[in-house]
Amino acid sequence: MTADAGARLQSVLAELRRLPGILGVTIARRDGILIAHSLPKAMDPKKIAAMAAAIVGTSEMAAVEMGLGSFNQSIVDTHVGMMMATGAGEEAILVTMLRNEANMGLIHIGVDRAVESIAAILRPEEVPA
Amino acid sequence: MAAPARPVGARAKTGIPVLDDRLKGGFPRPSTLLLFSDKPTEKRIFGENFAVQGIRAGERSLYVDFFRAPQLARGELKRFGSGDASNLVLVDATSSQLLLPSRERYHIDDIGSLENIRETIITAVRAEKPSRIIIDSMEFLVDRFPKEDVLRLWRELIEVARAIGAVICFLFINWTLEERDLQEIRGMSDFVVEFQSSLRGGVVRNSMRISQMAEAGIKTNWIPYTFKDLIGLTVYFPRILVTGPFAAGKSTVVKALSEKSISIDRMGTTVAFDYGNVNITGIEAEIFGTPGQERFEFIFKIFAREVSGVLLVIDATHPDELPRAKQMLDLVGPRIPYVVLANKSDLPGALSSDDISHRMDLPQDVPVIPTVATENRGVREALLLLAEMIIGVR
Repeated sequence: MTADAGARLQSVLAELRRLPGILGVTIARRDGILIAHSLPKAMDPKKIAAMAAAIVGTSEMAAVEMGLGSFNQSIVDTHVGMMMATGAGEEAILVTMLRNEANMGLIHIGVDRAVESIAAILRPEEVPA
Repeated sequence: MAAPARPVGARAKTGIPVLDDRLKGGFPRPSTLLLFSDKPTEKRIFGENFAVQGIRAGERSLYVDFFRAPQLARGELKRFGSGDASNLVLVDATSSQLLLPSRERYHIDDIGSLENIRETIITAVRAEKPSRIIIDSMEFLVDRFPKEDVLRLWRELIEVARAIGAVICFLFINWTLEERDLQEIRGMSDFVVEFQSSLRGGVVRNSMRISQMAEAGIKTNWIPYTFKDLIGLTVYFPRILVTGPFAAGKSTVVKALSEKSISIDRMGTTVAFDYGNVNITGIEAEIFGTPGQERFEFIFKIFAREVSGVLLVIDATHPDELPRAKQMLDLVGPRIPYVVLANKSDLPGALSSDDISHRMDLPQDVPVIPTVATENRGVREALLLLAEMIIGVR
């Protein structure tokens, strides 16, 4: 069952990564532990997972402090592209790195779909495997 | 008959230094190990690792494999590292079932006959005199033959192994035997190694526990482990938290421990976290450093989950910060092992370990280690001590 969940998460990532302009994708737990990734060799997935958790945690707190409601997504905008950290269910974060040339409409659809799948895959567990 | 392998030490090392230390150098020879789990792959990894660690130490290992073709088994064993392949003796139990000629010296020709199985294994053990024997696995026999006969063979194998001073590992999943029989099997073993996996938030964690059956024997806590290609089994701590009051030197400790680390800091203070990955003597650990200032406590909470152990860093020259240090420990929660690092211990006015222990009202068994993180003094020792506390032996 665990191997199965892992494989399904990988296929969600693979599908997202096929979109033009995407540099890499990672699923992290909200406490900064890596769950799955599809990244270029040069990137350290564990570091990215920890950073994404810090960004999302900080953003969530900021949203609460500012009375802006519940958290959906953090975006880091750079001259090369973007990093999107999107909440995926209670436990996980989907990190998407993309180039500026990417088609944002397509990306948003892809990310929304992926987030739903990830939440569904991770939901029915918590029983000892 | 093969040439005798290199003479072996008194103990059979597991290849995991921190574990071998706890076992006073490894498993004694001769001894009988029961590798017990509710899933097939876990205990096999330990058995395979144990066989290959022997070969890497110049010993000879005999592996009885009821499930895999020998070519496949040899290939898979290579993932644990390389050694002299001629010191790996395989007892081939599958070729005859597939009606293929065996390329191994020892092969079981009639898998339906317990007598043939018995004779083949015992002949191989007596001729090769391996120092480690792995039977993968006993449930294969228990499922096919009468219980009494299998238990008799089990006892005989223990005797044969003992006669040549070998460590013998029996892999076993229990499906059909009753508790009474299990008690008997445990009683025949010197050590029981149990395995378990759990899944939390999409992340699989494996752990094992070693219990010596003799009275007042060694018993470890559940030890988290991972498998690494060409290295084998490694103790793995998914999260060691480095925490403590403002400006105690937490980031420096993380930096001193890890080869590559990152720190998210502004104006000399950590605003998000530090992260480093540590590999020392058979232990891999992910080190997370928290900010010290109270206004960043929400960050602390993000990382304070599923913590294996805590390195609590304090500034030995700042006694007024000690209450804050204790309060940070409470944030992590109870029952998590921790070591106190009395940092900046080289500066004038630094408190002694005893003094700190007294002022913080620490329990007797909590070590206080003087450190100088900027010069990497005492830091690694503190981590190893923490690792030993997490693994635990009584």
